[in-house]
Amino acid sequence: MPIASPFLRIGCRSSTMAAWTLAALMVPSIIYSILYHSPFAFRLAGYALLGMLAETLYVLVVKRQRRLVCMGSGLTAAILAASVPPSLPFLPMLFAILLAVWIVKLPFTGLPLRLNAAMAGRLFLMLVYPAHVVAWGTSTADVVSCATPQELYRSENFMLAWPELLFGKIDGTWEELFALVPGSPGETFPIVLLLLGGILCWKGILAWRAPLAFLLSFSLATALCGNAPLFNLFSAATVFSAVFIVSDPVSTPMSKSGKVACGFVIGTANALIREFTYYTEAIVYAVLLGNLLAPLFDRIAFELRGRKLLRSKAAR
Amino acid sequence: MLRRINIDWADLPHDLPLENPFATAERTFPGIDEIDPATFPDFLDEIGLVGMGGSGFPASAKIRACAGAHTLVVNAVECEPGIRIDQSVLLHEAPWVIAGANACAKAVGAKTILIATKGDDRRLGELRDRYPGYGIVPFPARYPAGAEKLIMEKLAGTRPPPGVRAYQLGYLVQNVVSLRAVGRALVDGIPVVERPLSLAMPSARFYKNIIAPVGLSIREVLDAYRLPYDPCIHILAAAGLMMGHEAQPEDPVEKTTTSLVVLPRDAVWRQERPCIRCGACNTACPLGLHPYSLVERSQKGKTASAAFQAQLDECFLCGVCSAVCPSDIPLVQRLVEAKKCP
Repeated sequence: MPIASPFLRIGCRSSTMAAWTLAALMVPSIIYSILYHSPFAFRLAGYALLGMLAETLYVLVVKRQRRLVCMGSGLTAAILAASVPPSLPFLPMLFAILLAVWIVKLPFTGLPLRLNAAMAGRLFLMLVYPAHVVAWGTSTADVVSCATPQELYRSENFMLAWPELLFGKIDGTWEELFALVPGSPGETFPIVLLLLGGILCWKGILAWRAPLAFLLSFSLATALCGNAPLFNLFSAATVFSAVFIVSDPVSTPMSKSGKVACGFVIGTANALIREFTYYTEAIVYAVLLGNLLAPLFDRIAFELRGRKLLRSKAAR
Repeated sequence: MLRRINIDWADLPHDLPLENPFATAERTFPGIDEIDPATFPDFLDEIGLVGMGGSGFPASAKIRACAGAHTLVVNAVECEPGIRIDQSVLLHEAPWVIAGANACAKAVGAKTILIATKGDDRRLGELRDRYPGYGIVPFPARYPAGAEKLIMEKLAGTRPPPGVRAYQLGYLVQNVVSLRAVGRALVDGIPVVERPLSLAMPSARFYKNIIAPVGLSIREVLDAYRLPYDPCIHILAAAGLMMGHEAQPEDPVEKTTTSLVVLPRDAVWRQERPCIRCGACNTACPLGLHPYSLVERSQKGKTASAAFQAQLDECFLCGVCSAVCPSDIPLVQRLVEAKKCP
């Protein structure tokens, strides 16, 4: 396209968006590496490079172009690596990254229906390597509670009162919850993650509607199911999902109201799957469900907007 | 060997009369006290006034349509970013603006005159001193605040429905530069031969508001200030950075040239990439439309639905969707095409 108006640019380009998100993702993983003396940050960077390499290869073979920096696929691979246990072997990760980048992410470019590639890769890992995916390492409070403590609550027949609903059942875990809840490395520090999400929203990289709707509807649905909303918010992968997965600009709807509706569906589905089924990683299914509904939401939002305009015209 | 070429219609007599099919009446430059609603539109045609805010719409037609409006709005909400010509005219050319505004208000029978300007405390006090008796409505200093539709939204309380113009609600919205031109003609007898414009070259840290004669070539304007313009590395953006167009140095300054900005060519070069469906255009659209969905549907030919047509008609091509697109898709150009070929 030749030069044309507008001559100004507001906000950042797509590759810069991915680079910022990747940098944000590096923050909790570096803290994790320092606290637990693990080489996880380097592994994460390596997997991100692997994702970039996969996209470079794809572009070279399919489009016959040379593209060296492929931030989008790097981010996909990094989110995938951050959401599984750090002990996962290399080969499954390689398969998952290649599947996410080559099959789910790149061939769908520009189509209305996009799936979250990291979540698709994770679904693959859960189906093919179920044993690796739940090997969370040391048995701490969050590991005992798995992704959610609902399972514990149900098996132990806890009768929860409202204060417990608000603050959860596990005693003396506040500092652990905020600083040191080991789980998958990316999702370990909820406060840090919230802060990063806020910064990314402020910079205009993330759209705040879907994550906010996700967090609200998830809390509401969890509370209605009779569990502690705050505990569920700050344990497991909820904040990580909100900041890095639900906010994904590619696979959520484009329209503002669609984003809210999609966040709502993902949050509610996440809470319901955690409560009523035996699947541990509910967010994967919830996000993929939301992605499948995204084109529908966009269509509905478009039609509603047009009808509203027509109505105001007819009222005149 | 030359041969005479015989063309039947070229074999003409030498004493052809000079006809003037667009003849107008005697030149009438009324004084400020002799404004007559019946002849005022003809007077505007006489001085050659068009919408100087950038639209170029003939002012006489607008005044005729607006007969009976109760409010005249002086539109000085310079919405294009980085351009300050409307504010300069409003502040420094107050006598002419007042003369033009009073004349227009008298011609259409408007009782109140409002000045719509950007909210800026320091300048609002000064404006009150210069425009006694005028209401001043501050607007947010963001793009696109100056579109007629959005001005009406603030003044009338609700956004006018699609297809309804300001004059149908009893408002006459005139750009401040148009009113200055009316005043100039009334007071000094000079028709629309000058164009106040912003001349800027960010790379040379040059910024000036000037009054340029209409028809002067842009190169002469640039040479007057010895701007280091080089067509290989710079482009000329005329009439605003958001809704403007690229101009050539040989082009004349037109009546609608609100600004001339010399920009480095590489800063505005864009390479279109596939849409990542982030929805930035949706979030940014000041009217809450769905720009990419509109473009996508128009490209696929799915243009029959009423919702599509309603949204496309509502769009006024402000260009915000193109400016925010992370994939550099020229959405506003596609929307222009979609509007042209339904």
